[in-house]
Amino acid sequence: MSTLKKPFKHNELTFQVMVDAAPNALILVNQEGKIAYVNSYVEKLFQYDRSEVIGQKIEVLIPTRYKGRHTEHLQGFFNNPEARMMGVGRELFALKKDKTEFPVEIGLNPIITVDGNLVLTSIIDITERKKAEERFRLVVESAPSAMILADKKGIIRLVNTQTEKLFKYRREEILGQKIEILIPDEIRGSHPKYRKEFSKNPEVRSMGAGRDLYAVDRDNNRFPVEIGLNPMDTSDGHMVLASIIDITARKKAEEASKNYTKKLEHKNKELEQFTFIASHDLQEPLKSISSLTDILTEDYFDKFDEEGQNSLSFLTESTERMRELITALLDYSRLGQKSQLEEIDCNELIEKIKIDLASSIEETNANIKIAPLPVIWGYKTELRLLFQNLISNAIKFRKKDSDPSITISVQKLDEAWQFKIEDNGIGMDMKFADKIFTIFQQLNPKDKYPGTGIGLSHCKKIMELHDGDIWVNSQLDQGSIFYFTINTNPQKS
Amino acid sequence: MKKISGLDCIILVDDDKITNFINKKIIKRADIDVAVKVNSSVTEALNYLKGMNTHPINEYPRPGIIFLDINMPGMNGWDFIDEYKKLPNEQKKKIIIAMLTTSINPDDENIANLTPEINMYLQKPLTVEKLENTIDSYFPIA
Repeated sequence: MSTLKKPFKHNELTFQVMVDAAPNALILVNQEGKIAYVNSYVEKLFQYDRSEVIGQKIEVLIPTRYKGRHTEHLQGFFNNPEARMMGVGRELFALKKDKTEFPVEIGLNPIITVDGNLVLTSIIDITERKKAEERFRLVVESAPSAMILADKKGIIRLVNTQTEKLFKYRREEILGQKIEILIPDEIRGSHPKYRKEFSKNPEVRSMGAGRDLYAVDRDNNRFPVEIGLNPMDTSDGHMVLASIIDITARKKAEEASKNYTKKLEHKNKELEQFTFIASHDLQEPLKSISSLTDILTEDYFDKFDEEGQNSLSFLTESTERMRELITALLDYSRLGQKSQLEEIDCNELIEKIKIDLASSIEETNANIKIAPLPVIWGYKTELRLLFQNLISNAIKFRKKDSDPSITISVQKLDEAWQFKIEDNGIGMDMKFADKIFTIFQQLNPKDKYPGTGIGLSHCKKIMELHDGDIWVNSQLDQGSIFYFTINTNPQKS
Repeated sequence: MKKISGLDCIILVDDDKITNFINKKIIKRADIDVAVKVNSSVTEALNYLKGMNTHPINEYPRPGIIFLDINMPGMNGWDFIDEYKKLPNEQKKKIIIAMLTTSINPDDENIANLTPEINMYLQKPLTVEKLENTIDSYFPIA
């Protein structure tokens, strides 16, 4: 016997040392509800010396308000002894020697001995966990979007005020419900499947990428949403924190912008159609008129009296003007259609224009001063037309009594080049500063300054193509200064 | 040729010489005894009206009707109306202003209807019928 007893003694001692040193509070309670044993962690947690509690009713460690029913619960346990957690679903509190309470989690284990049945109570102080949960709850509560915490089974465990507002449920109505009550009928059925897939592979992601998501509120109103999912490991198991944003306004804006784009595309098609009409349908009868007036002029001119002859030459003139206008309109609508951005040396560009305009420069004795110009990104054909229009305007609208003098210079602004074309011509009243850029608008009589009135509207459209701006500063009889800006960074244009 | 009482002169304000040529021809065809003055800009027309005070009436006959184009280089028909409003009432008495335009912009017609200085709003081209209609409306035969 003694040979057998010795190792047993040793085991008993080891067991006692282990229990005493366990980092959990362990209490043995007997059937009378008295404390039979506490380990040293209990002393630390409850601030009692073990001599003070051993032999006492376990209720000394319980806040007064729970004492009443505790004896009953304890007897219930002894009647049906099995290992379990105490008070599932309820919040448990324990009482320290100084009467302060703290939240606990309690595990119960029946121990059957020859001296009678005992219950081993293991107590975990969950103060820190509760604090963390409270912090988490506050963060969720203060989030600007609706947030819902649901468990693995899809039961809603936590919601914030934004959720109440968005879904029109009161908190108590929605807690404990399945998350599916917030999902429209047609998806409700397949949602549990999605939920399971998520819990198999939990990761932070947005829900239903590429699909339009909808939610329903208490009044069964559907609204489009964007949902972010965050898997969370909590003391209550795996959960999902969903943050839900109502995107009704954004959807509407997107819809409006889509419609607007569609309308614009339609308008653009119409414009293209218009170009076609102008180029073909209008030109056709015009050519006939032109040919017929030619015939009348060549074969019958002498047979007309003076008024008839005037009518005929006016007819020719009107036809020619109509042709010019149609061509100008066509050019206008075609601007920038087939162009590509490229690097342009403005100095070279101006030299070429000077060659094109050589005869009118010579004829008018125009003096053109050109400051060193930059290399810029732009549409070459269009920019050439822009410079050419501005220079030939400066020559065309010269004063009778002085030779045209034109200065072209440039200034570097923050993100753009600002070009300046200054002349000493007839200038203009600034009240027409906008009108001159409008198609077919002219300030001066056609017989003195022939033209269609399209040049500057070309310039304006060209600047629009370059995301730049064009404007004028002038005074009647004091010359004009035309400015235009063009981005130094082509990515911005 | 008919002589219409109160209608000694018609002024055509239009920068387009062909339009003026055609309108003169229409007035001639209506067989009315009336002087026709052509002003090819708003400034010219305003100078004419102002000049009536200082020039003999046979050189600057008083207009009974002004046919006014809207779209002209520089100052347009609306600018003319603005300046016309500033003239002394004595000078504007018994002058009928008929806007004669190719404008298809409904705003133009609406504004014209709301402008007391504008008596009529007509679409180009002027025809004998439109002319006679204007005369019948404002120059009843006594």
